[in-house]
Amino acid sequence: MDKDKRKLNLSKIIFKPIRNEKWQPITIPVVSIVISFIAAAIVILLIGKNPLQAFYNLLQGAGIMPKPAYAGYKSMLTDFLSLLNAMTPLVFASLAVAVALKAGLFNIGVSGQMLVSGFIATIIVGYSGLDAIIAKPLVLVVGFITGGLVGGLVGWLKYRFNINEVVSTIMLNYTAQYIISFFIQMYYIDPLSRQSKYVSEEARLTLVNVEMANLKMDIPLGFILAIVVAILLKFLLDRTVVGYEIKAVGANRKAAKFAGINVGKNMVLAMVISGGLAGLAGVTYYLGYYASIQPKVLSSMGFDSIAVSLLGNIHPIGIIFSSFLVSIIDQGSTYMSSQAGIRQEIASVIIGLILLFSACGAYLKHKASQLKEKNVDRKERRS
Amino acid sequence: MDTVIIDGLSFALPLFIIAIGGIYSEKSGITNLALEGFQGFGAFVGALSAVLIAHTSGIGVEHLFYVALLFSMIGGMMFSIIHAVLCIKFKADQVISGVVINILALALTTFLTAQINVLVFGQASDRFQLGVSDRFTIEFLANIPVIGAAFTNIYPFEIIIVIIACFAWYLLYKSKFGMRLRAAGENPHSVDAAGVDVSKVRFSAVLISGLLSGLGGMCFAYSISANFSSSIYMGYGFLAIAALIFGNWKILPTLVACLIFGFAKSGGSAIAMVMELPSSFTDLFMTLPYVLTLLLLIFFSKSNRAPRALGEIYDKGKR
Amino acid sequence: MSDYIVEMKHITKRFPGIVANDDVSIGIKKGEIFALLGENGAGKSTLMSILSGMYEPDEGEVYIRGEKVQISSPNHAAKLNIGMVHQHFKLVPDYTITENIILGIEPMKRFAGIFPYVDIQSANRKIEELSKSFGLEVDPKKRITDLTVSMQQRVEILKVLYREAEILIFDEPTAVLTPQEIEFLLDIIEGLRQGGKTIILITHKLDEIKKVADRCAVLNKGKLIDVLDVKETSTNYMAQLMVGREVSFESAKTPAQMKDEVLKVENLTVKNEDGFEVVKDVSFSIRGGEIFAIAGVADNGQVEIADAIAGLTKVSSGKILLNEQDITDERIRKRTEAGISYIPEDRQSVGLILDFDVATNLALKQYYKEPFSRNGILNKEEFDQFGNRLIEKYDIRSGQGIQTQVRSMSGGNQQKAIIAREIELQSPLMIFVQPTRGVDIGAIENIHKMMIQERDKGKAILLVSLELDEIMDVADTIGVIYNGRLQKVASSESLTKNEVGEYMMGAKHG
Repeated sequence: MDKDKRKLNLSKIIFKPIRNEKWQPITIPVVSIVISFIAAAIVILLIGKNPLQAFYNLLQGAGIMPKPAYAGYKSMLTDFLSLLNAMTPLVFASLAVAVALKAGLFNIGVSGQMLVSGFIATIIVGYSGLDAIIAKPLVLVVGFITGGLVGGLVGWLKYRFNINEVVSTIMLNYTAQYIISFFIQMYYIDPLSRQSKYVSEEARLTLVNVEMANLKMDIPLGFILAIVVAILLKFLLDRTVVGYEIKAVGANRKAAKFAGINVGKNMVLAMVISGGLAGLAGVTYYLGYYASIQPKVLSSMGFDSIAVSLLGNIHPIGIIFSSFLVSIIDQGSTYMSSQAGIRQEIASVIIGLILLFSACGAYLKHKASQLKEKNVDRKERRS
Repeated sequence: MDTVIIDGLSFALPLFIIAIGGIYSEKSGITNLALEGFQGFGAFVGALSAVLIAHTSGIGVEHLFYVALLFSMIGGMMFSIIHAVLCIKFKADQVISGVVINILALALTTFLTAQINVLVFGQASDRFQLGVSDRFTIEFLANIPVIGAAFTNIYPFEIIIVIIACFAWYLLYKSKFGMRLRAAGENPHSVDAAGVDVSKVRFSAVLISGLLSGLGGMCFAYSISANFSSSIYMGYGFLAIAALIFGNWKILPTLVACLIFGFAKSGGSAIAMVMELPSSFTDLFMTLPYVLTLLLLIFFSKSNRAPRALGEIYDKGKR
Repeated sequence: MSDYIVEMKHITKRFPGIVANDDVSIGIKKGEIFALLGENGAGKSTLMSILSGMYEPDEGEVYIRGEKVQISSPNHAAKLNIGMVHQHFKLVPDYTITENIILGIEPMKRFAGIFPYVDIQSANRKIEELSKSFGLEVDPKKRITDLTVSMQQRVEILKVLYREAEILIFDEPTAVLTPQEIEFLLDIIEGLRQGGKTIILITHKLDEIKKVADRCAVLNKGKLIDVLDVKETSTNYMAQLMVGREVSFESAKTPAQMKDEVLKVENLTVKNEDGFEVVKDVSFSIRGGEIFAIAGVADNGQVEIADAIAGLTKVSSGKILLNEQDITDERIRKRTEAGISYIPEDRQSVGLILDFDVATNLALKQYYKEPFSRNGILNKEEFDQFGNRLIEKYDIRSGQGIQTQVRSMSGGNQQKAIIAREIELQSPLMIFVQPTRGVDIGAIENIHKMMIQERDKGKAILLVSLELDEIMDVADTIGVIYNGRLQKVASSESLTKNEVGEYMMGAKHG
């Protein structure tokens, strides 16, 4: 009896905050994040370090909290701007995952789509010597179209040949990685850095080392675009016929077909949009955050974006917040590592844990509603 | 020609054993995209135990191959518990669970490898050095023309895999456990009605997939890469999934698919060698298994039939 | 006391929101056929699930052969020689009959004295003997996919017999059978009784009870109403007890006022995914103001005809004309706009998007048109107004009005939502596939009334149903399908139920 009671109390602590269905989209991710940080804190304790110190270092490194000292031309603002710079491609990548998920498709090939778009934009625009006013918009257009084509191919393979998109995107990831590595090493290699040659300043989507108020900062032009695109995407999904159809196809393919919706067209369309957004992620990454491509390496952002997207509840505005959080963990990890002496790799472990717990979201939801029913039941029986 | 067969087999067989793991899980009705993570984590545990034992006992790490194999199976199985719990107990989306586990495996093993290297061995390194396991040749068979190559320079794990694969075939198709497992993937209600616990059957199936994947991952670590590092996540798990899809979720046809991949890979690098192309061309040939996968999928995906209840969350109450 | 083989005393079982069994007590004698009568949701299946170990009761006791037991699982029930023949067959399609039957209690043998393996050979033999001794002849090596529905049911019965059940529970066994097959099944049940078995028959069909049962317990809304001696009770009285009020068996149908031809199907042939012809050279036509019903045993091509007309399945040859317009190769949406409403068989996976709310589902076929949207932008207010109007007009009950997730609604209300949506399309042709499956008697009456109303407005109605009673009740014209061919098309007055049954089994050709 006593044990039962204790068990009930424990579950009350966990489930109470997520009981209200209306707030579940926010409370469940928050609970997942809290649990993950508790888990990470335990790991840090086990290594013999102070977790609170480590988490504070994370915030300092990301430019949210002030560091005790800054190098010349640096300040909290420059740190914060580089956080936004790193966050920009992540927002695009996570939106890409979200659009596909809404259509019931799992785009885990975002990394590959980013790489292809980044590479094509680099060789077409990045090395062209065009003026900034033409080059910058052109980079975005080329990125979107290239990514859209790759995404569309995946959607078409799924619809036409019933090829599981998870398998096809993975295969395309590896294929792209090796083929682009080949071209970079054959034609575009910078012998010193062992990476592709740098793109021109005119084509780059981040203004680097802008001097202002005695600071040198990186201004990510794509960031504003990312926020605008997130809002546009929300409108597209909630308020338009296209969004209605994509969501119907994602929620129930048979019912959508029955209602006269062209399932194939919408699957391909959703993948084109998804790939296009991944393309934007690619150009803001390879021609923004960086200015070159490292051969044979796929960005881990394609996978992180799945976490970010789930954590943001597959909701465009939610994704802005979750990308912000994940970028803080990512960006702050270097500083944390140098200050607290904890290995930088723990950042991805924390992200992995957040992802793991948010995957259990459906269960938490189910449990919470079950508990509610039980309570109602008990009350009824008593009366 | 001989090297094509030798290298092809040593690549195809570990892939095959991972794919068998996938068949077990999917035949029981649990979609398994987590094979990649299982093989990586299994290899990590195997490699870790090998280097730890080598460190304390002084035995050369290349001699601890069998110990590593054993621990890799345990490690893969332990890690697969996460997938089983998430999919069966927590009723999470199986595709999402699989992807999550892959991400977690990569992050966790990368972190732990670096951390343990510093803590235990006092050196900053992102890998455990293993070396390549010994090879041997079955003399009287090796002299047969062409096929003889299959018996030349074999890794011991190839024999182990063949034996385990035979047992896995027997267990899946001839035993009562296998009969229940396959039924659980086609119509779990029938299994439940027969008084067999569907969750238990599926749980064991996922654990088996973890065990076999861990074994496969360890074999890769002891052959192709000669060490454990994050480069173990080369997409072998996904290649295995592709193989079992062509194989129509059956063990023997899946072996054929794995052999095709293996020979495509070894054949590709052989061609690059023979033509004396610069090393960057090997990158092009590296794409062969992946491109081939896509092409084969185009031809086979439509005609193949996945287990009927694959990916569906089983809810006892629902009819 | 001890002449009861099964006794259930004061059984109460609650589920969230409802009391499925409320203080129910019954006793069943050895060797009798005991019927449980009640509407959908009356609690008969729950009561038997308790007996077969699927649920445990909240209150009450169960005695088997005089001994108090707590039946914890189906396995435990099997040990007590209790077996259930499920309404929804629980079979593995790719397995043989034998493999299905032995699943869970596989006989083993050892290969080379070491490796145990499932001994299919001896099981085959044992099942052949068993099936012969009860007059249930089957070929144990056949696969389930190759069996008819009534043969699959035999496999379910054999499964229970193979487990040496003495007490057999039949859950709505006749729902999907033809009159002749029902006849045969009732003979089998009678035979089992003569073989010493005790039978519990769950059903809502009164004539079956009258035919075979000795005694009958009537349940209504979870409560036991009465236990009756069947021979001394009239079917009318039993029906009254079951529904809780007087019922009219005749639908209030007036004669049809037929108008011009709306649908014409010419030499329609449809192939399934494996390239096998499931509809063969079918021709018929429906006029405005006519209900045309296709009768047939499950999986004889009737659903494919409906799907082909609506555009869900490809036509391999033949023609479909709607108001003289050829729609054979049109896309689904074009057909809907040309005037087809469709109430599909599977309302949860085809008819509705369960994760969407009521308003969104009600607009599922019109969202892209004005006034629901303009220039590709949705008008949410219009969705809400439309939803509210339909909820009121068709009495769709949902917890939170138009914002209710359809998933949380009852089956009957889900069906109402679909029918409301399809009627609102004002199409000249309405297709109903199994519209009353799984809804309770009140809702059935309501659906039939709506069908007849629409007919009287001059619409052409195609009804596909496996319930022969339903077809005899509402149809003006009946087409009987067997093995993909229309065997007979005639007015409903000119056919008897038994004749239709014979055509359904291909025993008679028109």
